[in-house]
Amino acid sequence: MIPQEIAATIVDPTAFGGNGKRVDEAFTWLRREMPLEVGQPEGFDPFWVVTRHADILEVERQNELFHNGDRATIVTPIELDQKVRMVMGGSPHLVRALVQMDNPDHAAYRRLTYGAFLPQNLKRLEARVRDIARSFIDHMASLGGTCDFARDVAFLYPLHVIMELLGVPESDEPRMLKLTQELFGSADAELSRTGSRPEDAASALANLQGTVGEFMVYFNEITEDRRARPREDLASVIANGRVFDAPLGVLEAMSYYIIVASAGHDTTSSTTAGALWALAENHDQFRRVKENPVLIPALVEESIRWVTPVKHFMRTATADAELAGRRIAKGDWLMLSYQSGNRDENAFDRPFRFDVERSPNKHVAFGYGAHICLGQHLARMEMRILWEELLPRLQDVVLDGEPVNMDSAFVCGPKRVPIRYRMQ
Amino acid sequence: MGAPYQTWQCRTCGFIYDEAEGAPAEGLAPGTRWVDIPADWVCPLCGTPKADFEMVEL
Repeated sequence: MIPQEIAATIVDPTAFGGNGKRVDEAFTWLRREMPLEVGQPEGFDPFWVVTRHADILEVERQNELFHNGDRATIVTPIELDQKVRMVMGGSPHLVRALVQMDNPDHAAYRRLTYGAFLPQNLKRLEARVRDIARSFIDHMASLGGTCDFARDVAFLYPLHVIMELLGVPESDEPRMLKLTQELFGSADAELSRTGSRPEDAASALANLQGTVGEFMVYFNEITEDRRARPREDLASVIANGRVFDAPLGVLEAMSYYIIVASAGHDTTSSTTAGALWALAENHDQFRRVKENPVLIPALVEESIRWVTPVKHFMRTATADAELAGRRIAKGDWLMLSYQSGNRDENAFDRPFRFDVERSPNKHVAFGYGAHICLGQHLARMEMRILWEELLPRLQDVVLDGEPVNMDSAFVCGPKRVPIRYRMQ
Repeated sequence: MGAPYQTWQCRTCGFIYDEAEGAPAEGLAPGTRWVDIPADWVCPLCGTPKADFEMVEL
């Protein structure tokens, strides 16, 4: 059994906050001493903590043996889990998007938008995405040499791209950003819906329900509009889509919008902000990639590994199984720690070094197997284009204060990256 | 002159294998034909088996 102090750390949102060192130390200890072991932080059901890169791949590729939806997909305290089940008719999920589904639903729902995110189809958007990137870089240049790169650029650029794809008007983007930050930052006093960290399960649930409810009201109107007047946007695909010869269920449709409108930008924003934080701290790496733009794709991959914006997902064993020599029982709950897998010393040389020339770089930040991130090619394209446009103009960059990660054990990235810079 | 190069795409994640480019990071040199890739090869991004790729024209 994992020692209590370590078990408590890996579910503590504040351990991921700040500079994130506390949680990195806990996972480094686990990989060395207990790479696959059961932990039970106070107030939680026991769960296996899968810390090694190879073991994460092993679980992820067996998506029939390890289900997403049978129990909560995010590590959840018992009391909150019970309250969610009470309001959701027994289901442990407040929403039902791709990450909460298993087959046959998962494959069918994924197929609905799969084409929109294929590299060959995204290519058609490249010129438009480049225009958007340039407009944010011009904005950055106009700020006089200091800014909060997270707030002034990184949060806004992927948000604008995905909202155009989805079909949300620009005037509603601040609302979508606020709701996304409430959703993923529900444990962060600065970002949560009430402006304070929830004190108990009831207030945590109330916050989440309030945010999800507001998303649903918004997208319900979008559904009605796109059913009456379909357009060339993702919202029209969801509103008019059919799965198993029937329209999408209401919860499933709303959840589809929510995952696109939240995860579709927040993770890319976090990675972009975290990359600039790393470049400002590692001037040799900044110089190297600035002088060798051919390294930009490798910079993107390293940024994704470095930030790992999705820290974990949970899986549930559907049968007795063996994993890395340990016996997993049917019904067991497993935490796949992407944060840990992407710092695994057996998979990465000097994993705590930010290296824009890292090769190979087979990180697990997008997951693996059938549930691999649907938007991974869009995320890569957005970041590649941003760096292609920004690096030639960015002459110098240093930190101008302490960058800070948000407090979250699930989806987490920098919330402030203050910088000083010179631009052409 | 050989047959034109083809492209194959993973039906899970959209990874593209272009015979002309190969996949050097995976040990597949440029010009490696799809048919010459071992049957137990899997998608480098998501682990989908080779059999679940489809030929695409880009």
